[in-house]
Amino acid sequence: MRETIIALLPILLPVFMGTILLFLKRLKERKVILFYTGTGLLLTGVLAWNVILNAKDQQVTLFWLTEQIPVMLKPDVLGKVFLMVVTVVWICTGFFSFSYMKHEKNERRYYGFFLITFGILMGLGQSGNLVTMYAFFEFMTLAAFPLVIHNQSREAVMAGLKYLIYSFFGAYMALFGLFFLCRYADTITFTPGGTLNAELIADHGQMLLIIAGLMILGFSVKAGMFPLHAWLPAAHPVAPAPASAALSGIIVKGGVFAILRVIFYLFGADFLRGTWVQTVFLVLSLLTVFMGSMLAFGEDILKKRLAYSTVSQLSYILFGIALLEPTAVCGSLLHLMGHALIKSTLFLCAGAVICRSGFTRVSELRGIGKRMPVTIWCFTIASLGLIGIPPTSGFISKWYLATGALDSGIAVFQYAGPVILIISALLTAGYLLPVTLKGFFPGELQQEAGHDTWKKCEGDRLMLIPLVILTALSVLLGMFPNSMLNYIDGMLSGIM
Amino acid sequence: MEMLRNFPCFSLILSMGAAIVSSGLSGKLARRLNTVLLMIITLLSAGTLYLTFTTDTFYVYKMGRFSAPWGNEIRFGNLEAFMALFFCIVMLLSIWGGKKHLKKEISDFKENLYYVLLNLLLSSLLALIYTNDLFTAYVFVEINTIAACGLIMIRENGHTLEAATRYMLMSLIGSGLLLFGLCILYDITGHLLMSNIKEQVSILTETGEYQLPLTVAILFIGVGLAVKSALFPFHAWLPDAYGYSTVSSAAILSSLVSKGYIFLLIKVFYRVIGFEVIRQSEFINVLFIFGLTGMIFGSLSAIQENDIRRMIAFSSVAQIGYIYMGFGLGTEIGMVASVYHILSHAATKSMLFIAAVGLTDVSGQSKKFIDLTGAGYRNVAAGLTFTVGSLSMVGVPLFSGFISKILFAQACVGHAYKMLPTLICLAISTILNAIYFMKTVVRIYTPVKSEYASLPWKKDIGYGVVCILFIVMNVLLGMNSEPIVELIRSGIQMFG
Amino acid sequence: MSEVMLFIIVLIPVLWSILIPMLPFKKRGHMMIFIEAIVLINSILVWLLLWNRPEGTFTLLRFTGHLSVTFRLDGMACVFAGLVSVLWPLATLYSFEYMKHEDHEKVFFMFYTMTYGVTLGIAMSGNILTMYFFYELLTLVTTPLVLHTLTREAILASRTYLYYSLGGAAFAFIGMIFVVVYGNSIDFIYGGVLHAGSYPGGDQVLLLIYVLAFMGFGVKAAICPFNSWLPKAGVAPTPVTALLHAVAVVKSGAFAIIRLTYYSFGVDFLRGTWAQYVVMGITMFTIIYGCSMAVKERHLKRRLAYSTISNLSYILFGVTIMTPLGLVGALAHLTAHAIMKICSFFCAGAVIYKTGRNYIYELDGFGRRMPKIFGIFTISAFALMGVPGLAGFISKYYLASAAVESGNALAYFGVGAILISAILTAIYMQTIVVRAFFPQAGFDYHTIDDVRDPNWMMVLPLTLFCIGMLAYGVYSKPLIDLFTKIAYGAF
Repeated sequence: MRETIIALLPILLPVFMGTILLFLKRLKERKVILFYTGTGLLLTGVLAWNVILNAKDQQVTLFWLTEQIPVMLKPDVLGKVFLMVVTVVWICTGFFSFSYMKHEKNERRYYGFFLITFGILMGLGQSGNLVTMYAFFEFMTLAAFPLVIHNQSREAVMAGLKYLIYSFFGAYMALFGLFFLCRYADTITFTPGGTLNAELIADHGQMLLIIAGLMILGFSVKAGMFPLHAWLPAAHPVAPAPASAALSGIIVKGGVFAILRVIFYLFGADFLRGTWVQTVFLVLSLLTVFMGSMLAFGEDILKKRLAYSTVSQLSYILFGIALLEPTAVCGSLLHLMGHALIKSTLFLCAGAVICRSGFTRVSELRGIGKRMPVTIWCFTIASLGLIGIPPTSGFISKWYLATGALDSGIAVFQYAGPVILIISALLTAGYLLPVTLKGFFPGELQQEAGHDTWKKCEGDRLMLIPLVILTALSVLLGMFPNSMLNYIDGMLSGIM
Repeated sequence: MEMLRNFPCFSLILSMGAAIVSSGLSGKLARRLNTVLLMIITLLSAGTLYLTFTTDTFYVYKMGRFSAPWGNEIRFGNLEAFMALFFCIVMLLSIWGGKKHLKKEISDFKENLYYVLLNLLLSSLLALIYTNDLFTAYVFVEINTIAACGLIMIRENGHTLEAATRYMLMSLIGSGLLLFGLCILYDITGHLLMSNIKEQVSILTETGEYQLPLTVAILFIGVGLAVKSALFPFHAWLPDAYGYSTVSSAAILSSLVSKGYIFLLIKVFYRVIGFEVIRQSEFINVLFIFGLTGMIFGSLSAIQENDIRRMIAFSSVAQIGYIYMGFGLGTEIGMVASVYHILSHAATKSMLFIAAVGLTDVSGQSKKFIDLTGAGYRNVAAGLTFTVGSLSMVGVPLFSGFISKILFAQACVGHAYKMLPTLICLAISTILNAIYFMKTVVRIYTPVKSEYASLPWKKDIGYGVVCILFIVMNVLLGMNSEPIVELIRSGIQMFG
Repeated sequence: MSEVMLFIIVLIPVLWSILIPMLPFKKRGHMMIFIEAIVLINSILVWLLLWNRPEGTFTLLRFTGHLSVTFRLDGMACVFAGLVSVLWPLATLYSFEYMKHEDHEKVFFMFYTMTYGVTLGIAMSGNILTMYFFYELLTLVTTPLVLHTLTREAILASRTYLYYSLGGAAFAFIGMIFVVVYGNSIDFIYGGVLHAGSYPGGDQVLLLIYVLAFMGFGVKAAICPFNSWLPKAGVAPTPVTALLHAVAVVKSGAFAIIRLTYYSFGVDFLRGTWAQYVVMGITMFTIIYGCSMAVKERHLKRRLAYSTISNLSYILFGVTIMTPLGLVGALAHLTAHAIMKICSFFCAGAVIYKTGRNYIYELDGFGRRMPKIFGIFTISAFALMGVPGLAGFISKYYLASAAVESGNALAYFGVGAILISAILTAIYMQTIVVRAFFPQAGFDYHTIDDVRDPNWMMVLPLTLFCIGMLAYGVYSKPLIDLFTKIAYGAF
């Protein structure tokens, strides 16, 4: 009973509060809404940490959906890691949006769905079996939808629909696997090392490989892997900046998280190692890494550039997973955390810039560093982190990824992988640093610009504090990764 | 009981006598005489049926107690008695239903002539049913033809004259062929009495003599009667004859006259040639193919028709196709189905003609579909009757058509290679029937602000009663089919 | 209870409904009470029967030979009768409000109520002849409902409906004849009455006949080449489209196919033959086809009709897997889809009733003005898509796992078809929801000031359906247990 309550509270509370907020039509007072939302976010954060610290790694069956499939929660280490990331990023972006959303319409709806999505993410992290995870995955797609199309322009609605359709397409592909797993696995409860029934799959190995491939491909839609990445650069730029930050930082990680679950907790790494599925997965992820960076490099609109960057960076994580090698997976997890912090910082910075100066293109940002020093400093530090310059988190994770690739001994990829990672890192520097450079060193242009060029337009405290916190955390993760490494170490040995 | 044996003979003599008497009476008296006559003969036939049914045998009645070859014989069993009964009832209802039109469409001084013809027709039908002598049958075929021509022509307008001429020509060709056939038979067997011919034919079959003349005889008789009963390629006379003559004539012609010939053909099959001989000849295959094509092409013509009476007439072509298809199967159960369909079609077709005239009455005598729009509301009885008739034609359960359809289908599934064509044709024909009959039903129930809506239509009690009787008869045939089918089966066995 | 009751519940709606146009009701309210009373009493009788199930059969009349009209309440009958009897009173309540402004109300309700009896007749049929009999009657009593508005469109639609239905029955008839002539019995017996070698002319012919009969009954279930009647019939008033063309009529087709496959031909005979592959292929194609057409369609009710086409083939796909588990899936979807689709249709009806708008592009911003209706519509959309926790997921789960379990290679592709269809469902349902709740920026809500939620007579049934979907999705065990028992022939 105690476990049930611990596990359920962080899911139910924000969902409940969010729903109430949606229905409180009379509530017009902005301050009250903000206070309510803030309380909701913080309370949930506390409850989530309660799960992380106190929950035992045991199954909590809520009810039975059908005779074979229970809806079940099971906060294990991987789930807790996810929970940590979600909590930090979500609360920070939440508070950031208090300031950012001031001038937008329909704020109440935004916060309502923001809270609901928070709760659903809590559920996703704690899901104990495939069906539960699938359910929360679907809910997540749906609940985040109003955030994506918030300003309801034609472009936004179209992008939102694209997001919705791609996500469902992916989810259904994954669902395809569910039916087969029910038949060929001992259980669909997540078990480290996989649950496939060796006897049943004896003659059906090839078929199950296809199934595994489909499931990975299906969940990778959310993670923006080529060839089903197109929704991501469409949806991110149209959403309000905090929503893009949440999308890019967390929602897309939902896909990665699901792939981790599928590979290591259902099929088992051994089943896939050395098969064509792994090869395809590797090729696609590397392709995406490179392609994402190239596209980002050529993009002028800041948020779109960041979105392409997300595409590229997420495939770093997927590449690490695809190697099926402990060091690489460790790198992936670190990159998952690091990227969540960094990319939300970057998006929030972009949001602050857009909100305060109105500039959306990189080429317009000359001299912005003088006007918004704190924001651009945060942007710079985060950029360095993403490029992978020590001592930021990006360095550690990429180090692990490269080492893992070399250790794996997979013919071409053990060399091709690190090379592409490095090229991509260079490209990352190429597309992120110009913002800093132009921002702080505008060059000749400053004289020609208008009279308000130098006017300060730094964001208020509500904007800056979350930015600083996120930046600080990303740096801290890079400097002291050991505690985190120890935390996930046991899990890694369990799943390999 | 002994008395009952004389009834068939009585009814023949009565009807001929009535014809002669009517020629001297006024129209009104003639009509009454005809009604009384029909009722008496109905009773007599019922008595005959009672006799054969209770004793379960057939009877041979020698006219004037002269035995063959000088005398003339009547032979009757269950089926003959039942047919006579049924024909009388249908005729009675048809005359009642079209009574009003008779008065309108026939000049007063010819009215008694109409009843003379009717009585003659009745006598010839009874003779065809009862006689055991082929030459007598031929004589009455001719009488029948002449009477039918008169019935068509008596409504004097251009169409009917043309139709009657056409009918006459076709019929005479048919009679001629029949006569040739009879001559050949007489030539090779030396007899005219059916039972005697059959003995000789069986001897001929055993010895294998005169096979060619025998086949030719069968062919002539069969084709001759087929022409007269409007089997598909020989149906050209039919639509005009049924479409333009006065309604009682049309109803009687379509439901009784053609059926009289068909019944004669059945008798020839069983009593003259022997069913086994027929079954082994190629002739039934010819009938089968003509029957099938008739089923389809009759309906196709009906679909194209824009005149309700002609549409019903073309539907007759299709239905006669059913009957010949049943012959063509060459099994006893197929024969039962055909005989049942004779009954069912006779009941339904006369009903449809009577209903159609009710509908045209309230649409300014126009037979065009467009004018019939909404007629079902203006004449409720006719609308309902037409609907029931249509449903029966389409083969909806509850009504007689369904039973014949089911009997045909049951009959054909036993057959090796005729099964599939039959089933498919049955299905297609059902669809085609549905198309033109249901189109009409929907049409008559489509309300429209018609110019005829305000026309005073006097409530015609007599007509209503006839309609109800028709419906009752149809439903009885449809729901209480078991005893009737048993009767037919036993009747056919008595033939043998 | 006595076996006669089986016939009585068929008879009550048919006979009483004839009284509707004859009785001189002073007020509309009286008529409403009268009709609702008929329907409710009959439903209660049905429920009583379901609880005290008579084991025997009741023979009403005999045609020739061993052909008879017989009623029997077995497990399958329970499911269908139960489903219909739950939905009918609610749908009737809804239609009182909907039909307020339509003409010829009495005639409409007469046929509407009559259809209840006939549908129960199909459910309770004890043999294939009886089923065929009621199947034809169903066509006849529902045609006037399609014809109801008497516009040119309605007339054409009703004609198409008649041609297709009667034509389909003509082919179903062929199958029936084979069962009648060569079956061990014409009664429905789990496992079938025909088997390999039943027909002396060879099994191939028998299989061909099965395919023909499948197509014949499939016309009512709107399988692919024969589905164009269904979207056209959408011109009928919404209660008809919702209850008849999403539940009673089309499900009768599916029900008949279940009877044909599991109770007449027998799955042991059909499994693994070319006939199975053909019919399964047809259903799979229809699943995709229906969804694609729905995506293309811009008329709200027609879009839902296409969705029905696709979903009906889910049921048929379950049937064609030809294992007991497949039947479980088919029954699960039969019930689940009934609730989901009637719900979404009623929402569409409410929109049409309150605003007269028929096209999807006219629905901008309705979500705010009709929150109840569109809230419920959204839930039904999610259910149709198969979001876990709602009815659609359960049925799809059982269908797909049955397909996997069967080990039939084609069935695997069927799972794929179901999932592709799910994504298409997401497209065609979500575009409506998004439009209603998130109109484009700058949308002027004053243009739809007149749009309001309808009154309780419409909202109450919808709410109940909504609860039904949730309950089904969360706790389906008793129902699935029942289906499993039926599918293994134990009930």
